Amino acid sequence: MNDAPPVLKALQLTKSYRVGASRLEVLRGVDVELRPGEVRALMGASGSGKSTLLNLLGLLDKPDSGKLLLNGREVQNLGRAASSRTRASSVGFVFQQFQLLPELSALENVLLPRRLLAGWNWWGRRGNERRAAREALGMVGLGKRLRHRPAQLSGGEQQRVAIARALICQPPILLADEPTGNLDRGSSEEVLELLLRLGREMRSAVLIATHDSDVSARCDSIVTMSDGLVRLAEPA
Amino acid sequence: MTLLSLGLTYFRRRPLLLFSSVAIGLGVAVLFTVLAVMNGFLVELEKSIRSFSGDAVIENRYLPSREPFRFADYQAALAQVDGVQRLEPRLGWYALVGRRGGHAVTDPRSTDLSGMMLFGVDDAFANAEGDGATATGGNGDGAVPIPMRLGRQAAQRLQLEIGDELGLITFVQGGDGRPAPLRATFRLHSLLRTGRFDQEMDTAHVPRAALANLLQRDPPFTQVLVRTTPDADPLQVAEDVETALKKAKLALPGYPRTLTWREKGGTLLKAVENQRGMLSIVFFFIVLVAAYQLVATLTLTVTEKRRDIGVLRALGATPGRIVRFFVALGMVVTVAGIGIGLVLGQWLTSNLRTVEKWISGGERIFRAEVYKFEDIPVSVDPASVTLLIAATLAAALVFSLVPALRAARLRIVDSLRKR
Repeated sequence: MNDAPPVLKALQLTKSYRVGASRLEVLRGVDVELRPGEVRALMGASGSGKSTLLNLLGLLDKPDSGKLLLNGREVQNLGRAASSRTRASSVGFVFQQFQLLPELSALENVLLPRRLLAGWNWWGRRGNERRAAREALGMVGLGKRLRHRPAQLSGGEQQRVAIARALICQPPILLADEPTGNLDRGSSEEVLELLLRLGREMRSAVLIATHDSDVSARCDSIVTMSDGLVRLAEPA
Repeated sequence: MTLLSLGLTYFRRRPLLLFSSVAIGLGVAVLFTVLAVMNGFLVELEKSIRSFSGDAVIENRYLPSREPFRFADYQAALAQVDGVQRLEPRLGWYALVGRRGGHAVTDPRSTDLSGMMLFGVDDAFANAEGDGATATGGNGDGAVPIPMRLGRQAAQRLQLEIGDELGLITFVQGGDGRPAPLRATFRLHSLLRTGRFDQEMDTAHVPRAALANLLQRDPPFTQVLVRTTPDADPLQVAEDVETALKKAKLALPGYPRTLTWREKGGTLLKAVENQRGMLSIVFFFIVLVAAYQLVATLTLTVTEKRRDIGVLRALGATPGRIVRFFVALGMVVTVAGIGIGLVLGQWLTSNLRTVEKWISGGERIFRAEVYKFEDIPVSVDPASVTLLIAATLAAALVFSLVPALRAARLRIVDSLRKR
């Protein structure tokens, strides 16, 4: 049992979308919390609202109502610039589609969050950042593929670059949306193993949206989504 | 430097952005060339006016009822004026000049006759036969011809060669106070080359003493040219000269005596300056149109790179950062365009003759009869080029802002969605 206070806490989050003349309620009062070092699976059928919830937790979108507390501070109403800065410092993302910038090398992709976090005052730390990015890529087993562009890497390798990118700022929260959804079985296993190991090592709170029971089985706890609500379940 | 390298990579890999640079470059090159040519005209006009008429000119006007002013009076009055390097007396007179013999000088309708401004000057005719010491007024048959330095274009038109004799007809005040015709013979001593077609077409230099003698003119000058020291401001010198003339009572009340080279060049200079202004505005519109297409190019880039923008925003890029990124991309495109434009413009201005031949198939487009100079003058003015660069960058900045703001307003979740 993890007794640490939650790093992220969602209270009664709601979100709906306009579809034609009507509104589609995707989240109808979701409560969820994430603690440091905890790995949670978020399960649910396609269209159940997993990605929507991840977007709200990651400050990529705003809820219609409810509260979102990051280390006890309300963040659901932050302005666009403030939420960007909060995201840069506190949240790492791993997407199903990898979302690497095709024009940049693996090293440059991993460097991006550090550069964005540092803003304009990164001159003095330039060498440190490159070293950190190289180490991050080394941790995911791509120490010799620094200069390769995404198109020159396999799907599994691209996702490993994405994991290195998500973790380079050592964020307290790591959100992964179907991280193995586009990978073959062998690569899925490697990527999942890496995600879980590095998340735990860095004491990040990890939330993995998946509909793969093999993935959820490796997590500390599972929350499931249906009808716009979540409920806690134990791993199988 | 990752965002900058991303911008540079976009620039390198997207032909459309390069195309924008080329378009801006063409606009800049055209405007650079136009400005260089117009500046060249102004510089050469200034040179020709200053060398021809001095940095300032004192018109030697006096009341017939009073004793005329002497050159020595001017020398004495202006000896202490700062910036005055030298004074040159000059005697100006209008006349008709033509080949001697036949009916050229007797028939004013003859095409062998040219209206000419004769200037009696003191230089270059020393020791020439008939330089004033030997010439006599109203020289008829048997008199020694007066040497003349005739404008090169006029000599060509009249088909004259060095040593040929010329006839002159003018009018002077007769004994009864009425205009009386005066004929004289000159010999072509040399050709006057100023580089300006109009000056070479209607100007001739003759020895001042001989001309004064011929015209029975006293005092033997109508103008005093003021040559200033290189560091002096001709406007200031002209003002000081005017003050000194008034002090020495060499000025008529209420009559401006001293004209600067700029006032002397008056209408022509103003016309060229106005033309430069107008052309700058017209051609800057080309640059504006070229820069305007940045809106389209960058908007397309924003649309195509929508997912990248979403990723950058998800990783923590603020909207302001996205704006700066796309504005910087626009600036990269523009700076490259300016670079292309300056190189191309420099080449164009250095090879105007070649370009003229390409355009016309060998014919002269810029004819000296129209444009006054044999060669199209070119002068690159650093201030104009700086202004051109600044204006282009400013326009590009404004035009880049539109797509940049659009990129910053994109919703992250929409941008990241698989399309």
